[in-house]
Amino acid sequence: MNTDPGVVRALFASHYFLFAFLTSLGTLQIAVSNAGTRGLWMTPNAGMTRLLGIALILTAIAVFFLQPLWVDGPWAAGSVEADSLTRDWGTASWDEIAGARNVNDIHGGLDGVKQAAWFSLAAISAFLVSAIAGTVTMKVLAFADQQTGETASRDDSDGLEGLIRRSYFSNLPDSFRNFKSEIGDVWRSGIRNSDRWSLIKTVFSRSSK
Amino acid sequence: MNSIDANIVIWLNGFVGNVKAFDDLMRIIASDYLLPLVFSLGMLGLWFSGTTPAQRLRYQHTMLMGISALAISNVVVWIFNISWDRPRPFIEYGDQLNLLFYPPTDPSFPANPVAVGFAVATAAWTVNRKFGWWMYGAAALFGFSRLYAGVFYPTDIIGGAIVGIAIYGFTTYLRRFLEPITTGFVRLIRGISAA
Repeated sequence: MNTDPGVVRALFASHYFLFAFLTSLGTLQIAVSNAGTRGLWMTPNAGMTRLLGIALILTAIAVFFLQPLWVDGPWAAGSVEADSLTRDWGTASWDEIAGARNVNDIHGGLDGVKQAAWFSLAAISAFLVSAIAGTVTMKVLAFADQQTGETASRDDSDGLEGLIRRSYFSNLPDSFRNFKSEIGDVWRSGIRNSDRWSLIKTVFSRSSK
Repeated sequence: MNSIDANIVIWLNGFVGNVKAFDDLMRIIASDYLLPLVFSLGMLGLWFSGTTPAQRLRYQHTMLMGISALAISNVVVWIFNISWDRPRPFIEYGDQLNLLFYPPTDPSFPANPVAVGFAVATAAWTVNRKFGWWMYGAAALFGFSRLYAGVFYPTDIIGGAIVGIAIYGFTTYLRRFLEPITTGFVRLIRGISAA
């Protein structure tokens, strides 16, 4: 490669983040539409939400693998077939587009650990976007009918179960309150159920009795 | 055994150049970015897919085990790699192969991407057979594409698959020792309305 691997890595990181974010958002929309978790839907309809999810995934794949056609990088036309160390900087040709992204991580591609870090960030971002969009959808389009308010005050369900009927931000206080009241029991029953050779059980069993 | 292994990869790689569209498809499938992301997305989807609280909890615990198995698989493959530096096929038979992928510098056995894929697919399979088979299919396709590209031997792929499945089994066993951390973690995420 005729370029600093650090520059290539920064380019790959930004492209990969966008790829992972859009595909995570799409996957999330498909999953929550199937599960009926309306507080995270980006549209008021399950079918539309699912279609949006599929469209986001397909768009992300197309953008990521076609980007070398218009964005300069280590995939200049005529050099893609070379070892990723000796490629030139520029845009790829149609003929070589399939191999353009195949750059060794020691030459600026992303290794597994970096991919995991960027993916985690992208998945959290996708969840936040879904939560905000779901809140706007439920409020602006009056997606939650009048019953929702009543149900929310009587219903003590929390977490994703609570998001079936409420927006993320109206569900959050109940979820956190229930977490604070239950975490002690969860911890104690976990210690009871753990293996008798567990180090955690050995250390904490006395204090949990 | 080694010559059978080599003959298979040379025979399969011999089809390279016949149909450009197929070669291009294999280049994209063999990419470091597409199928590893599919495996991660599979786990992300599993987290949010449950339709009842009990099913959701089961899926989420399985997802945590799948991610743990993925990480442990990487460590196990690394241990294999430092114990046996098996050269890649393009190093030993470079004159007979048409490499479709960049030349990796780490040892060949076992196939790391296949181990990771099979660990995740096994996690998916334990809670949803249909989804699990799709994930196994994706992991197998990933292995095939790398074999076709000339960067792995068939035994590397088989070894990777065995490592991935075995590590998932080990991780589920390990879970008994990690309670109440796993249940507490899921409960914490539910506290911020995300589980």
